[in-house]
Amino acid sequence: MHEISLVRNIFRTLEEEFPNDMQRIRGIYLKAGLLSNVQPILMQNAFQAVLEDQPKYNKTSLHVEVLSILIHCDLCGQTSEVEQYRFVCSHCGRPSRNVIQGEELLISKVEFD
Amino acid sequence: MQKPKSNQASVGSVQCENTTLNLLKVNDFVAKAIRDRLPNILVINVCSSPGSGKTTLMQETGKRLKGKLNMAVLVGDPETERDAIRMRDVGINALQIVTGGMCHIEAQMIFQALDHIDLTGTDVLFIENVGNLVCPAAFDLGEDYRVTVLACTEGDDKPKKYPRMFLTSELLIVSKSDLLPYVPFSVEAVTKDARDVNPDIEVLSISSLKGDGMEAWCDWLVERVHAKKEKTSEKVM
Repeated sequence: MHEISLVRNIFRTLEEEFPNDMQRIRGIYLKAGLLSNVQPILMQNAFQAVLEDQPKYNKTSLHVEVLSILIHCDLCGQTSEVEQYRFVCSHCGRPSRNVIQGEELLISKVEFD
Repeated sequence: MQKPKSNQASVGSVQCENTTLNLLKVNDFVAKAIRDRLPNILVINVCSSPGSGKTTLMQETGKRLKGKLNMAVLVGDPETERDAIRMRDVGINALQIVTGGMCHIEAQMIFQALDHIDLTGTDVLFIENVGNLVCPAAFDLGEDYRVTVLACTEGDDKPKKYPRMFLTSELLIVSKSDLLPYVPFSVEAVTKDARDVNPDIEVLSISSLKGDGMEAWCDWLVERVHAKKEKTSEKVM
């Protein structure tokens, strides 16, 4: 995918959000839904590459949590996990594309020194 | 020290819990601006792998819509202006977006391109995305509909392999349908797999070169162009 541009987006987003505290950021926590097509190992490699380019951030580490896909069934009201990309309610067996988790790409937590 | 914009102060070793910063928020913001800018034009984001026949489909669509709808195309490729030239050759108003190696089009590129194309009188604007079934799926370009083109020569196993693209599309076009007798591809199987991922997806088989399915595709477009214009005029009233 386009991991380098995503990592640059992470720093751009944080620079905008914490303009005076960038030097003190130690941990960046990402939540990446399975549908975001983000591979944690590739993100880590891209992160290291960007750090080499921007040594001022080299005390920072990245943590990526991959989230499963959850759908909500409007017919029976239950939430279920999507397996094998079959978007079918596991409770009543009816199809649903009402994705409530799995598409996100978020910075969920930032740790400061 | 200036207070951070997040809802918790970043002092000492405090963790900034509840920070939720969407990495695609800039793209989504620009996508909304594109929707606001084009209230009367139907915008279709056409996605596929390279070589599925997107440009040929655009050329043939342009020929058939002549006199019915005015169309324009923004076409994205990592390099060259070849696709825009192919479309201009058959009289289509087309502008090339050279992404400079990038694997997808982002909303900002479309927003900027809108300043360089004359859309006066245009009914439908196609965005021919970079050939790639993975990355373009994550980027909203301000479209009304996303159409995925899958050539029957690519195999009928793609919806499960590239689920997000099929999940976010309203229409699946099986292209090069004139080759169906010669390749192990089942329209029935691809429809079943695509609907496992997205129960609402519509499926059309088309041969741009032979013309099969082109009428149904053009009807699909005409119907949606009118629906969008009616919806906009209701809002104004």
